[in-house]
Amino acid sequence: MKVLRITPERCTGCMRCELACSYVQTGTFQPARSVIRVSPFEGHTSYAPYTCTQCAEGWCMTACPVEALTISPVGAKAVLDDQCVGCKLCTIACPYGTIFYNPETQKAFKCDLCGGTPACAAVCPTAAIEYVEAETTDWLGGFASKRVLRSHEGQHAMAEAGG
Amino acid sequence: MTRRHVIIGGGTAGLNAILTIREYDRGASEIRLVSAERPYSRMVLPYYLARSITESHVFTLTPPRLAELQVQTHLGRRAVRLETAANRLMLDDGTGLEYDDLLIATGSSPVRAAVPGADLPGVHSFWTLAQARGVVAQIREGSHVVLVGAGFIAFTILDAILALKARLTVVEVAPQILPRMIDRTGAEMVERWLTRHGVTVRTGATLTAIEDTEGRKHLRFRQGEDLVADVVIMATGIRTNLEWLNGSGLRVNRGILVDDHLRSNVANVFAAGDVAEGRDLVTGQPALHAIEPTAMEHGRVVGANMAGRDVAYRGSLLMNILEVCHLDIASFGAWDDPTAEAFAAARPERWAYRKLLWRGDRLIGAMILGIANDLWTTNDVGMLKGLVQSGGHLGAWKEHLRRNPFDIKPAFIASGTTARLLPETTLGKPSVPGGQVV
Repeated sequence: MKVLRITPERCTGCMRCELACSYVQTGTFQPARSVIRVSPFEGHTSYAPYTCTQCAEGWCMTACPVEALTISPVGAKAVLDDQCVGCKLCTIACPYGTIFYNPETQKAFKCDLCGGTPACAAVCPTAAIEYVEAETTDWLGGFASKRVLRSHEGQHAMAEAGG
Repeated sequence: MTRRHVIIGGGTAGLNAILTIREYDRGASEIRLVSAERPYSRMVLPYYLARSITESHVFTLTPPRLAELQVQTHLGRRAVRLETAANRLMLDDGTGLEYDDLLIATGSSPVRAAVPGADLPGVHSFWTLAQARGVVAQIREGSHVVLVGAGFIAFTILDAILALKARLTVVEVAPQILPRMIDRTGAEMVERWLTRHGVTVRTGATLTAIEDTEGRKHLRFRQGEDLVADVVIMATGIRTNLEWLNGSGLRVNRGILVDDHLRSNVANVFAAGDVAEGRDLVTGQPALHAIEPTAMEHGRVVGANMAGRDVAYRGSLLMNILEVCHLDIASFGAWDDPTAEAFAAARPERWAYRKLLWRGDRLIGAMILGIANDLWTTNDVGMLKGLVQSGGHLGAWKEHLRRNPFDIKPAFIASGTTARLLPETTLGKPSVPGGQVV
C-alpha cells in the first residue's frame, strides 16, 4: 500500500501542506481545519508534519456504532458522511489523535489520502512528505526525541546560568 | 456437524460478535440471535431525539443485513433460563435453543429514583428506542424539560433537548455534575459553561416526589423550591440485566466474571459488554465498564473465539466523551484514582482543563476539557487515550508534562508512542470494515 512517508529532517515548517490539505478537504484555505499538522520543535527551529498512519487496527473504524468508517480503494480509513451522526466515539477511540470533528457539518473527518493523490505530498517543496509504497512506521519518534530533549537541556543550561 | 452459536442481545456487543464470526467463517456456522428489540444503536438515539437523523438511521442489523449475514432471529423474545449442563437456552415463548457456544450480551436497563410519582405518565427514561420515541413525541419548543440526574447518560441528550428549543433544568443529587466522569474542578467549569448557555443546574438536590398537576409535573425536593416541568427525564443510573441467570451456575459478581478470552466459568458460555466483568486494562483487576467501546471490543474478541480462534483480550480502557454546547469533556482510565500522582492545569478563559494521573512515569488516567471546535482539543483527546492505552514509560517527558500539562503533543510524539501503538490490534490482524463483512 502507498503511504505518506514523512522525513522530518527535510521539513522547513513552510506549512504549505496544511494549506493544501485544508483546501482539498474543506474547499477553503484554513489550516485550522487541516488534518496534517506541523509541529514545532526546539523552539520553532525544526518542524515535523504529523497525520493519520492508516493503522492496521483502524480504531476509528471499529469504534463507529453505525459503520460510517470504511477502508477506501486506496487503503485509507475514510468517513462516509451520509452515515456519520457525529457521536465522536471515533475521536476518543483513535489513540493517535488523528480523527477530528467538524461542529458545522456535525461529521467526523480525517486523512483519506485525498483519494490517492494526497495534496500535502504534492505541494511539499522539500519531499518531507512523499506518497510511496512503504510499511507504515513511526516516522517522527526518533527525530522528535532528540530535538525536544536537546531543547530541555538548553532550557536547563539557561536556567543554571541565571537566564 | 455445523457449529451452533447463540447470541443473546442485539446491541453493540452482539452485533460485533456476529460480524466477527462471519468475518472468519463466511457463513459456515449457524448463528441464532435472541433480542428483545429490533437491533439498533443506542449510541445514536440522541441524534434521533435532536431530529438530526431519521429513525431508520438507528437500526444496525436490518432484515436484509441479517439475511446477508445468515443470522436466524428470535426478535421480541427474552431469554428466561440457561441450562448449562444441557447446553440449552430457554426463551419466554417456551422455545428451547440448543447451542455449541453462547454469548450473553443482555446489556443494562435504566433505574429510576425510588420516589413517589417516578412511574407517572410523562416521566420518561431515555434508554430504549421505544423510550426515545416517547420523549421525541413530548418535547416541544418552549417545553420545560427537567433532567433528573447529571451523569453521562443525561448529558448525552442535553444538546438534543436544547436543539429542540426546550428550556432545560438539570438536577443532581451529588454535590457536583458528572460525578463519575470528571473531578470537582472540571465539573465547576462545565457548570459555568452550561449556565452561560441557558441551562439551569441544581446540584445536591434530593428529589422526594413527583406529582401530576393538570398534565404538568411538580417535582419536590428535600431542600429548595419545587420545579414544574412539562417533561421529566430520569437518568438516575443503570443496572445490568442479570436476574434471569439466577440458578444458572454462572459466577457473577457485579457482572458475569470472565477470563481473558471472555469466557465465564462455563467454558462454552461467553459474556460481553455491560454484563461482563473482565480485565481493566489499566489496573489489571476485574471491572464492569458499561460503555460502548468495551461492548464493541468484547464483542469482537468473543466473535473471534467463537469462530475457533484463540484471541486473548488485553483489557478494557474506561473512557467517556461528551460534547455539550460545543465543549468537549473526556476522561480515561484511572482518572479518579486518589492514590495516583496528579498534575492539573486550567485555563478558565479558554474553557480548557487538563489533568494527568501517574503511576511512576506511566500515565494511568487523564481528564480533558476544551472547546470542541479546536482541533488541538480533539488531538489531545486522542493522544491522551493513546498514552494511557499504550502504558509506556514516559521518562523525562513526565517532567515536561508537569511543567505544562497542556503540551501533550511533543511528549506523545517524542516518547515513541506511535511506535508502541502501531503493532497493536485487538484480533491480532488488520481490521475489516463491518460493512464489508460477507
